[in-house]
Amino acid sequence: MIDMKAGEPVYLDYAATTPTDPAVAEAICRSMSETGSFANPASNHFAGRASHELVERARRQLADLLRTDPRTLIFTSGATESDNLAIAGAAHFRAHRGRHLITMPTEHKAVTDTFAALERQGYEVTWLSPDRDGLLAVGDLEAAIREDTQLVSVMHVNNETGVIQDIHEIGECCRRRGVLFHCDAAQSAGKLPVDLSVLPVDLLSLTAHKFCGPKGIGALYLADRADCHLQPLMHGGGQERRLRPGTLAVHQIVGFGVAAAIASARHAEDFVRLKTLNERLWRGLREIPGILRNGSTTKSFPGILNVSIEDIEGESLMLALEPVCVASGSACNAQSGESSYVLRALGLDDRLAQSAIRFSFGRFTRESDIDTAIERYSAAVHHLRAIVPAKSAKRVGA
Amino acid sequence: MSANPYNDAVRRHFANPLHAGDLRASYADTVSAEASGSDTGFRVVLAAELDGGILRRLRYRVFGCPHLIAATEVSCSRLEGRTAEALQEFSVAPLMELLDVPVTKAGRLLMLEDAVRALAQAIPTANRGGEPSGAAMDRRD
Repeated sequence: MIDMKAGEPVYLDYAATTPTDPAVAEAICRSMSETGSFANPASNHFAGRASHELVERARRQLADLLRTDPRTLIFTSGATESDNLAIAGAAHFRAHRGRHLITMPTEHKAVTDTFAALERQGYEVTWLSPDRDGLLAVGDLEAAIREDTQLVSVMHVNNETGVIQDIHEIGECCRRRGVLFHCDAAQSAGKLPVDLSVLPVDLLSLTAHKFCGPKGIGALYLADRADCHLQPLMHGGGQERRLRPGTLAVHQIVGFGVAAAIASARHAEDFVRLKTLNERLWRGLREIPGILRNGSTTKSFPGILNVSIEDIEGESLMLALEPVCVASGSACNAQSGESSYVLRALGLDDRLAQSAIRFSFGRFTRESDIDTAIERYSAAVHHLRAIVPAKSAKRVGA
Repeated sequence: MSANPYNDAVRRHFANPLHAGDLRASYADTVSAEASGSDTGFRVVLAAELDGGILRRLRYRVFGCPHLIAATEVSCSRLEGRTAEALQEFSVAPLMELLDVPVTKAGRLLMLEDAVRALAQAIPTANRGGEPSGAAMDRRD
């Protein structure tokens, strides 16, 4: 028997989204109030100019975080839109030069689905497999780039495993070969140093809600380079360099800016804390028989720990873990039981991939939350192992 | 998935699997059967102890989702004490409603139905001899 109502909820799903920092929430509320800057920043009157100033201040705060010029950043609705605009926008703009693109099957759906859509439109996509740790061998990339290759897209931190790709080396390879490089940094921006003054990245997607900012607002970095242009996907106005038309969501942008400023000030400190929490969690779990850590143990973001376990069904494990909020290896598809495509790409069999649990934590996670997660995971495994059949059981009492 | 996928009955039976376990194979009137889904790897193993044609005790083991575990637990608790013929009449339809099982998971519950039917088939053999018997079915879902 397991007590599924025991204790307060413990939120360990920061890779899905983070709680909004109170300072961010306060700035958003202030901006939305009657006395705040609710006006359209495109309006050419006093109130509009005040809103415009708030937008530009947020852009500078974000530029400071990424160490880039504010003019290289355009606001979007989030990383999904940024990924779509970067990938499809670059592919369409450069289609006359060639229609070959490169990415990995372990990317976020916002990337893989965009590439799949481009394939249906006649583009050719090379899908580079990672090694068992989830890492891309740059030699494989080098070999895959052709005369007609226009774009490479590789994420910085994997959203399921936390594996960190060497985007500096990947970017250098792309620069040498004259190919644009897009990086989905949704899981790293605001949490790891992303220094665009030195990184050879042409396009970079990020979103506010992964680092304690509001949902519904993101950004796309577009390098100030002669060959880095996009074809817009939407039409209807001149906002954001004509690449992303529509009235700007001032309050969300203000919140994004504050979140970026907070992240700039404390991501080094947060990183050390996350490392401690990660080690504490793995120390508590690693003795459980049959447990397996997924992804690289050395090149990994410490805010994510992904584990699989033998002979345990993932959906049941998720329910038995309540009230600990985590993500399962069956991703968003618990109804079909489909296991994580990311983990399968790392060579896990279907059953191990399906048993995977992603613990992800952040700024407001306490050590006691980690201890609760260890306790609940151990109890859940114990509970389910008392139910599952022995592997070879064919007879009564086997 | 946004709405709560598990109703109170699923949660209660999943958390309290009173019939999970095994029966001793040495007992003469003990039979077992199983069904599995080759696509999902899900598996239901049932064991019954018979006493004069009555299902005296039922035990199960399941590798599967919370709905399948809860459905198996409810089934064992409802079948215990009934005659072996009840196995032939078993249907998962009432369980689908009780446990509010999504249509997409219907195949998983049919696996339970297969296991119960296989258990029913195993009974005459057990009654004839002294050895425990077994049966297995495979379901692609």
